[in-house]
Amino acid sequence: MRRTTYLAASAAIFAGLLVAAWATHGTGVVRDDPERNIAIPKELTSELQVKVAYDGEDIWFRYRWPVERPAIFNDVLVYNDGKWETRGGEALGSNPEFLTEDRVAMMIDDGSVPLFSRYGGYITIGEGLTTFTGTPETDEERTKYLPSTRTDPDTFDTIRPAGDLEKLRAAGQFIDLWQWRSSRSNPIGLGDDGFVAEERGGDEGTGPYMTNFDKEAGQPKYMFNPDVAGYRALKIDEVISGKVGFNDTYYLAAETAVPFDPTYQWQNGDTIPRRFLRPETGSRADVVQPSAARWRNGFWDVTLRRKMDTGNPLDDKIFRDGGSYDVAFAVFRNASTMRWHYISLPASLGLGEPAQINAKFSEPGKPDWTGPWTDVEVFYPGQVSWPRLTDPKQHPGADRIAQRVPVAYRHTERQLALYGVEVEFSKEIKRQWLWTLGMSVGLIVAFGFSMMMLFRRREEA
Amino acid sequence: MMAGFTTQIRSAVADNEDRNMRQNQFLGRVIRTGSFATAALATGATAALAHSEGGGVKVVLEGADRFSIPPVYHILVVHFPIALWLTAALFIFIRVFSASELAVRLQKAVWPLILLGSLAGFVAYGLGLAIYPWSAITESPLGRNHIMLATWTLTYWTVLGVLGYRYRRFLFDGAQKWVTFVLTLIGTAVVTITGTLGGSLTGTPSLVTKGLGKIGWEVYMTFYLPTWMLVVFGLGAVTIITLGFLGSRARG
Repeated sequence: MRRTTYLAASAAIFAGLLVAAWATHGTGVVRDDPERNIAIPKELTSELQVKVAYDGEDIWFRYRWPVERPAIFNDVLVYNDGKWETRGGEALGSNPEFLTEDRVAMMIDDGSVPLFSRYGGYITIGEGLTTFTGTPETDEERTKYLPSTRTDPDTFDTIRPAGDLEKLRAAGQFIDLWQWRSSRSNPIGLGDDGFVAEERGGDEGTGPYMTNFDKEAGQPKYMFNPDVAGYRALKIDEVISGKVGFNDTYYLAAETAVPFDPTYQWQNGDTIPRRFLRPETGSRADVVQPSAARWRNGFWDVTLRRKMDTGNPLDDKIFRDGGSYDVAFAVFRNASTMRWHYISLPASLGLGEPAQINAKFSEPGKPDWTGPWTDVEVFYPGQVSWPRLTDPKQHPGADRIAQRVPVAYRHTERQLALYGVEVEFSKEIKRQWLWTLGMSVGLIVAFGFSMMMLFRRREEA
Repeated sequence: MMAGFTTQIRSAVADNEDRNMRQNQFLGRVIRTGSFATAALATGATAALAHSEGGGVKVVLEGADRFSIPPVYHILVVHFPIALWLTAALFIFIRVFSASELAVRLQKAVWPLILLGSLAGFVAYGLGLAIYPWSAITESPLGRNHIMLATWTLTYWTVLGVLGYRYRRFLFDGAQKWVTFVLTLIGTAVVTITGTLGGSLTGTPSLVTKGLGKIGWEVYMTFYLPTWMLVVFGLGAVTIITLGFLGSRARG
């Protein structure tokens, strides 16, 4: 063969390898790994639309987000060979049986919580929270918390003394947390009023649901009222397939339930919701819905209402006409819960003041929805913790955080979603990257060496 | 005869004066260019120093390395290799498509430009690595990608420079001309991508960043190859070297 043939062959192999590298890069590492609590959502970003109205007495938040199939059940009890078994509720990623409810949550601050306006919910993510890779499963949930509530902000177990926590709370160092749940609050037109401070918890009072299971008897406490529903229980196949819908009696509450009848001839597959819905009490009852929301045409459209001043300043952020606030949202869709949600970056909210979300002043009791929606991009956050973000050895932008540069200035939502996924495979990707770096440099040098051998001066020919 | 000799001497003296004048003009141009470049560098360095001071409240970050070099120096220096390599690329492209006297003259500057670029590139690379702790920058997908592309760029252009030094005008002989052309195209692409990733890293992504996403590489995710592809790379490298050895003994 002539030398030019060797030259062409070398160049073709080099070019071919470059093309192949382009086509195959980024594969072979990122995959679901149940053993490490890793499940990557198919979509990394999604949308949420928000409108806000207020009349001086009440404030309304309206949320609209796309959901292909609504999940109107959370955990259920299924009869199987004489036993009532729990199905659904918590799930690793998306629940294939759609037994994990849809949700929307909103964090609110009035400027009292340091850095919330710049970094939103990221500041509440400590190291080793429940469902994080490597966190052991315990009965006690390791929830979100504010860094100021710990003597060492990076360590979950270093909670400050009660006196310090009370002082922080009085100074407004807590985040107001509103939630709406498609199964555990929506059917009876309620929201849920909570907080994030030393933990994520509910305000004083009782929440909108209780567990419908008698542990000692090993059976539900309530069943459907056959006079109202036409049945005592649903069928699990119909629940999972989505055949049971809004027009059926699908939740247990005072008006739809009666005490459980253990003497009834229960059949395999009989299904009863594991939650009994009830009116809330105390400060926890502040967030309600004007009416139960419904899923229509591929969207949930949910409205939550609260008094602007609830009279509970240690539990709630008080809204005032002319005030500016910071909000951040989380959307749970595709039957996902825990950290498999889509979050937003913080956004400003103005009540008569210019902001990213402008609340519309309305006539008393009549929220004015005539204005445009504010589009909020939401994204899968992965397992990015605040200790990681503020550690200069783990995050090149830690110095920017120390300088209080807002996250939105440096990162887009899509970027953060991609980073969130990468962090879940940080070690594996870094190792593979180092190998790629070494092998690719080797290939370039090899090609250069080959060209050195194959090129020719005319007089050498 | 005598008159002819005198004329020759006069002519030689005139030539000499012309040459001296040209040399003086050249020297003047060199001094002016050098002075301008030095002034520009000094201005840039002063600006860099001013920017590196930051503003407002000084922040001491716990856990940060005691020694680090502000990014501005890397940003300042990195433009030297970029300018030198891209100028070399321009000269190569001109020479590939033209055999004019100008093109041939420009061709002579190719390897010095590339190797000067590599020299500046090594300095810029070192300054870049001194900005962040290695553990931090290699946790960032964009940081990893920037390091990867910078390494490729530096290696690639250095290889091209050595090839240029070894073969000089013969780079443009026959089929070699087109290999040189393609190699330079790739070199231009990698230096452009490295630069745009650097821009993205400092918070100023360009259309090139978005463009890369459209043709298959989301730069906010680490560029890495699956293990089987790494093996193929290794085999490919061995094959290419083998072809080099075999081909060096072949005719034509």
